Amino acid sequence: MSELLPALLIVLPIIGATLPLGVGLLRENVGWSIAALVLSVEAGLTAWLATAVYGGEGATRIVHVLGGETFGRRGATENFVVGIELVADAFSGLMVLLVAGVALGVLAFARRGGPRGNAFYSGYLLLTGGLMGLFLTGDLFNLFVFLEIVGLTTYGLVASDRDAESAVAALKYLVIGTTGASLYLLGVGYLFLRTGALNMVDVSRSLAGEPEWIDGALYGDSLVLAAFGFIAVGLMTKAAIYPLHTWQPDAYAAAPDAVTVYISALVSTGGAYAFARVTWTVFTPEFFAVGQNARILELVIVLACLSVVLGSGLAAMQRRLKRLFAYSSVSQFGLIVIGVCVAVHPAGGTQATRLAVYGVVIHLLGHGLIKGGLFATVGALAHGTGARRVREYAGLAKRRPFLSGSMAVLGLAIVGVPPTIGFLGKWYLAVGALNTRLWPVIFVVFASTLLTLLYVARLLEKLYFDGPAEGAAPAAEPEPEGPGAPGGADGAMMTDGAGSLSYGMIALAVSAAVLTVLLGFAGSALTAAAEPIAQAVIEAAPEVSAGG
Amino acid sequence: MVEHVVDSWRPLAAVLISTVAIALIVASHRRPNVREAWSVIASVGKFAIVASMLPGVLDGTEYRWSLGMVPGLDGEFVAGAEFALRADPLGMLFALLASFLWIFTAFYSAGYMRGLDEPNQTRFFASFAASLSAAIGIAFAENLVTIFVFYELLSVATYPLVAHDETDEARAAGRKYLAYTFFGGGFLVLAGTALVFVLTDTTTFGATAADLAEADPALARAAFGLLAAGFGVKAGLMPLHSWLPDAMVAPTPVSGLLHAVAVVKSGAFGVARVVLEVFEPDLVGELGVGLALAAVAAFTLTAASIIALRADRLKRRLAFSTVSQLSYIVLGLGLAGPAAVAGSGTKTVIIGGLLHIPAHAFMKLTLFFCAGFIHVETHTDYISEMDGIGKRMPLTMAAFAVAAAGMAGIPLVAGFVSKWFLLIGAVEANQAIFAVVLLISGVLNIAYFWPIVYGAFFESHDDADGKPLVEFPLGGRASGGASAGEPKAVADGGAADDAHDDDAAATDEHQEGGHHDTADHEHAGHAVHSDDQHEDHDHHGGPPPGGWERAGWTGAEGSWLMLGPILAIVAGAVVLGVVPYQAMFLELIEVITEGVVG
Repeated sequence: MSELLPALLIVLPIIGATLPLGVGLLRENVGWSIAALVLSVEAGLTAWLATAVYGGEGATRIVHVLGGETFGRRGATENFVVGIELVADAFSGLMVLLVAGVALGVLAFARRGGPRGNAFYSGYLLLTGGLMGLFLTGDLFNLFVFLEIVGLTTYGLVASDRDAESAVAALKYLVIGTTGASLYLLGVGYLFLRTGALNMVDVSRSLAGEPEWIDGALYGDSLVLAAFGFIAVGLMTKAAIYPLHTWQPDAYAAAPDAVTVYISALVSTGGAYAFARVTWTVFTPEFFAVGQNARILELVIVLACLSVVLGSGLAAMQRRLKRLFAYSSVSQFGLIVIGVCVAVHPAGGTQATRLAVYGVVIHLLGHGLIKGGLFATVGALAHGTGARRVREYAGLAKRRPFLSGSMAVLGLAIVGVPPTIGFLGKWYLAVGALNTRLWPVIFVVFASTLLTLLYVARLLEKLYFDGPAEGAAPAAEPEPEGPGAPGGADGAMMTDGAGSLSYGMIALAVSAAVLTVLLGFAGSALTAAAEPIAQAVIEAAPEVSAGG
Repeated sequence: MVEHVVDSWRPLAAVLISTVAIALIVASHRRPNVREAWSVIASVGKFAIVASMLPGVLDGTEYRWSLGMVPGLDGEFVAGAEFALRADPLGMLFALLASFLWIFTAFYSAGYMRGLDEPNQTRFFASFAASLSAAIGIAFAENLVTIFVFYELLSVATYPLVAHDETDEARAAGRKYLAYTFFGGGFLVLAGTALVFVLTDTTTFGATAADLAEADPALARAAFGLLAAGFGVKAGLMPLHSWLPDAMVAPTPVSGLLHAVAVVKSGAFGVARVVLEVFEPDLVGELGVGLALAAVAAFTLTAASIIALRADRLKRRLAFSTVSQLSYIVLGLGLAGPAAVAGSGTKTVIIGGLLHIPAHAFMKLTLFFCAGFIHVETHTDYISEMDGIGKRMPLTMAAFAVAAAGMAGIPLVAGFVSKWFLLIGAVEANQAIFAVVLLISGVLNIAYFWPIVYGAFFESHDDADGKPLVEFPLGGRASGGASAGEPKAVADGGAADDAHDDDAAATDEHQEGGHHDTADHEHAGHAVHSDDQHEDHDHHGGPPPGGWERAGWTGAEGSWLMLGPILAIVAGAVVLGVVPYQAMFLELIEVITEGVVG
């Protein structure tokens, strides 16, 4: 039964996505209820899947082949899989937990915070289904398909405010995002040309030269190297790494608050996950150990380092909260990409690989949680007080103690102050990098703490130690409006669904903060969960299976 | 010595008791008396828990708690490091000191905050309790990762106290504070910790030296440098000290307990852990890093003393005195390296350095409490306005005089004993040059404390000698005559009228004249006093027209809520100086050095 779960997890929200529109013909405002129902079932299934994956010794690899296993791979290595494989293993199992949790949590925000309307909830469910597919697929081409599903729905959701600013942002995102996906597809095409396979495991084995019809490893092949280049650039676009990040601040800033929470926690995470998955299990460390292949990795690392430094710098310069945290994501994904590369860099030994893998996995989860929580807090504060700019935050701590407290905790977590999950991720990334002795990279990773502090400290000072700015008009308290009130046309705030602060928003922000701290003590559980992945990368095994 | 480790929840309880108090303090924010009672209860409880472990620790028992003792968790915090607390002799030294002095500070700060009618008192007391939790966590941390956790939390918890006033000056100081402490903690200490972990696969104190000795010496030196510099930031080592004088904008109890005891000593304590237990003196000597550390400390203690000479604001002078005195501790620890190589004096310098932790704490806390008391009672912050103040506050200034004498190393006060050990140890370790530095610093100490004491008791406001060091520009000026005829408060050497032009921020204060409003903030006019020598003072403080009134020696000078703690702590400083062995600290330190040197 549990073999069906990966497919079910993808199909359920996609089918569910038709319901709000369908039932909406009969009744208004059913979207939220349907989404809540579908996502609750989804969360239950995810929990089931996680139990199945982690329940046994190590981590079980649960595979579902769409189109059946009537022909294709026999035994361990013979032939290729023809159908599309969906794989729930230690890596994807963790990520789908994050997706299910965030998807359900954001609903608490969207109930009052909007956007309203059944169409939104259809898009929302579709995006969830796409993300599930993105994390669960074991096929390179299928990954492209899900990247596109996620991308297209995100463009739509970003623009769901229907104002000029969000339309432009969505268009920009569309152009850049589609270009990135195309580059990825180009890379996959090159790989297909060379290996004749699309399944990740099969491609990896072919690259290693395992099938008898291939003469030795293909690692030295320039076509393969070019493929990695295209794939890396494509996925780095999706993960918003400098200088391919330009879509992100606009998209985050222009999207409705609930959408920002969702996509900041998950969409870039999907891109980074895909990059890690392809780099680790398709190309494997052995690819980068051959010849000069490590150079391309170093090129990626340079971009990632720039991303860390410039992302933080740009974040510190922003006036609007949502743009500030968008640039913060640019910086944090820089760290993650550094970790992905460090794990497979030939300069590091086994220990570097293991620690860097821990770091990437924990920081992917941690960043999703923290950044989602931060955007939820920003959104809730905006709904409660109208403040959307840093200077409007002056003295808000007295009016909104819980939200300000959440922001303080989450902000410090993103800086890497222990005991939070943010610290754990940063620690493993740092010690992983340290094992490679690539000093400039190590410096950037450690310095990222201070760079992050640049913008977090500024916020905290505003919140807690500054009176309302003189000269600036005090931000108006929006009038509480009943459900279904029409959104005004002036300013971003009114078009955000015109909701007021709700308990759901506060609960989401506070629980994200609490979870961030609690998970800070769950270090051993998190590393145990990531161990099978580390083991697979160390052994250059294409399958993340029961870790030893 | 038999080491005997017992699983116990007491170390955790000692940390958490003030964390629990935070919730209670915040919950009772509408009832100040209840709120302050929680602080006092937490401080007494914390001291009781820490003290209950003292007999065991002196007998060689160590109390250990780890996250693994919580059902359902294994202790691992990050790979290779448990989240664990262990009450060992060195940790007890710091924990005992911080928790003991918090009791007095709890009373004093209640008196201080009420005396000034400060806003945001709930946040103040909550942050204070949080800081103490973090400080005890630093004391008991069993490995570098755990100490890092609390070291960072201490930075976070003290930030609201530094920025407490919410003025531009306070916020700037807070920003600087965060930048420096996070540079020290999140960057340097974290990097050093990670490096030690990578080199040795563990971060537990006492388990790393052997592996570090086999590691690449360059990397081992780098690790030492990162850790020492990282902890050195909080210990005020130059050139990373400049947050400390600025942080004096905080309310005085903060300057007293945190910026003379808990926070800065956590830095010195971290250096002690690194020297004594991460690297151990032999390796510190072999790598040659001990001498480098001692040299930095020697430079700091001399330079800071010289800067203190010219500081006119009392708290600023005390801050530079703190920077200087903390380096005594670091100097003692640094000298442990060369001493271990020389084969003699290791024990002596370590005892000297460690004993200076409690000695300086008692003395400096007295001095800060005096400064704060003077501020609450008379709103006087500047030394040039304190002539004759002994009449108004005789007991306070007497306590001040005793503590200042101890700072200078005059026998019968705490400072003498530790300095004596340091001097002897430096000579034994064949590093007599450092003994000379110590002696010079003693002279400088007298040079910057004596004028205050002398002015307070033997001069009067209208008839005081000039104070060439603080009043004249560097290098002197042509008409170097006595300033007796000039208004006292003009310290920039110019005419009083000039002052109004170049000190826009103080204008409000001038218009108010000598108006004393208790709700008024002490710092309102000081925004530009980042370097206060050539600035005009606001006319906020100083004696009332007609000179200081005379208050008797029976405590008429102000609230006993503040005077009591001052007298208690100065008595402690004397006890430490007269009967150091009975005062527990020296005994504890001997147990520590036995453990380290054997």
